[in-house]
Amino acid sequence: MDTPTFARLYREYSTFFAKAERERRWNVYEDVPWDKVNREVTDELALVAETFLGVEMYLPDYVSGALSVVRGSFGQTWFQANWAYEESKHSLVLMEWLLRSGKRSEEQMADFTTRIFDKKWTLPFTTARQMTIYGCVQEMATFVIYVKQRERAGGEGCEALRTIFDLVARDEIAHTRFYQGIIKFLLEQDRDGTLDDFSYVLEKFEMPGVSLVPNYDDRIEVMRSAGIDRNVFLQKVYFPILKFLDLSRHDIVQATARRRAREQGLEAPETRRATA
Amino acid sequence: MTEQDLISLFKQVAAQVDKRQKFDHVTRDSVISELGIDSLSMMQIVGEMELRLDIMIPDEDLVELVTIADLVKVVEKRVNQ
Repeated sequence: MDTPTFARLYREYSTFFAKAERERRWNVYEDVPWDKVNREVTDELALVAETFLGVEMYLPDYVSGALSVVRGSFGQTWFQANWAYEESKHSLVLMEWLLRSGKRSEEQMADFTTRIFDKKWTLPFTTARQMTIYGCVQEMATFVIYVKQRERAGGEGCEALRTIFDLVARDEIAHTRFYQGIIKFLLEQDRDGTLDDFSYVLEKFEMPGVSLVPNYDDRIEVMRSAGIDRNVFLQKVYFPILKFLDLSRHDIVQATARRRAREQGLEAPETRRATA
Repeated sequence: MTEQDLISLFKQVAAQVDKRQKFDHVTRDSVISELGIDSLSMMQIVGEMELRLDIMIPDEDLVELVTIADLVKVVEKRVNQ
């Protein structure tokens, strides 16, 4: 790795980490108002919490997979280590809520974790750049989903769960910002290559945990409200990410056309100037 | 291009982008969210239609699409410009 690249990635990470230490650290046992758990919340909300717990519990696979592609980069590797610490609190705090609310027993949690670990999440992309883009979209979508559930938990009168979703959502958006900073740098280094990867990742994108969490389809049937619809995804995830990176949807469209032409051995179409 | 031409183009492109679904039954009144197309696939479909028709649709026109007729209207507007 050359010095400017090392320096930029180091700076992105140190900025992220300094802010996390200063403004965003929280304690599972002390910063959640556990005396304000509402044991009367709906079973659907409990299912939402359990499903998110399931997705968060593939942490060992997420961490080992991500580290395997960024190991050569100090800034990105240290970010993954910090990311793992923060994400480990997400599953812990959701499990704590499920137990303290009486919505799940220890026996149920033991069974759930066993079934989670029976399956393994595999890395959806093979390069650090693709995984950075994937991480960015995934974390932003997760942020929007947690914010939505924060309002719902508040509406059901559970201040503990509302606080949990708030703390977790803050972490998710901070992770998104880090990834966005890295992607900006990648675009400066190799705009066409990064756009190619962007279009590829968007084409293959799937939220983690889909088809891995036990009875995922049945859960989705029951908790439709846990997801976000197309318009919300576009308005709160897709377009904001592109805007932050100073990209337009047409940049992605053009990159897709270029990539496909290359894959088919054809001449790349002339690049049009995005106007939207 | 007629409305029917654009619906046919949509079916063709959608089938290419999302090979798991069938789109033969799509009509102007079909509700997009009920076709099993996720947001990112929809962006690919629209992008592919833009490439084939050599048009550019502004982002803000895409967030309130409900039916295929809404999409056709947005595309027609650009094709006829």
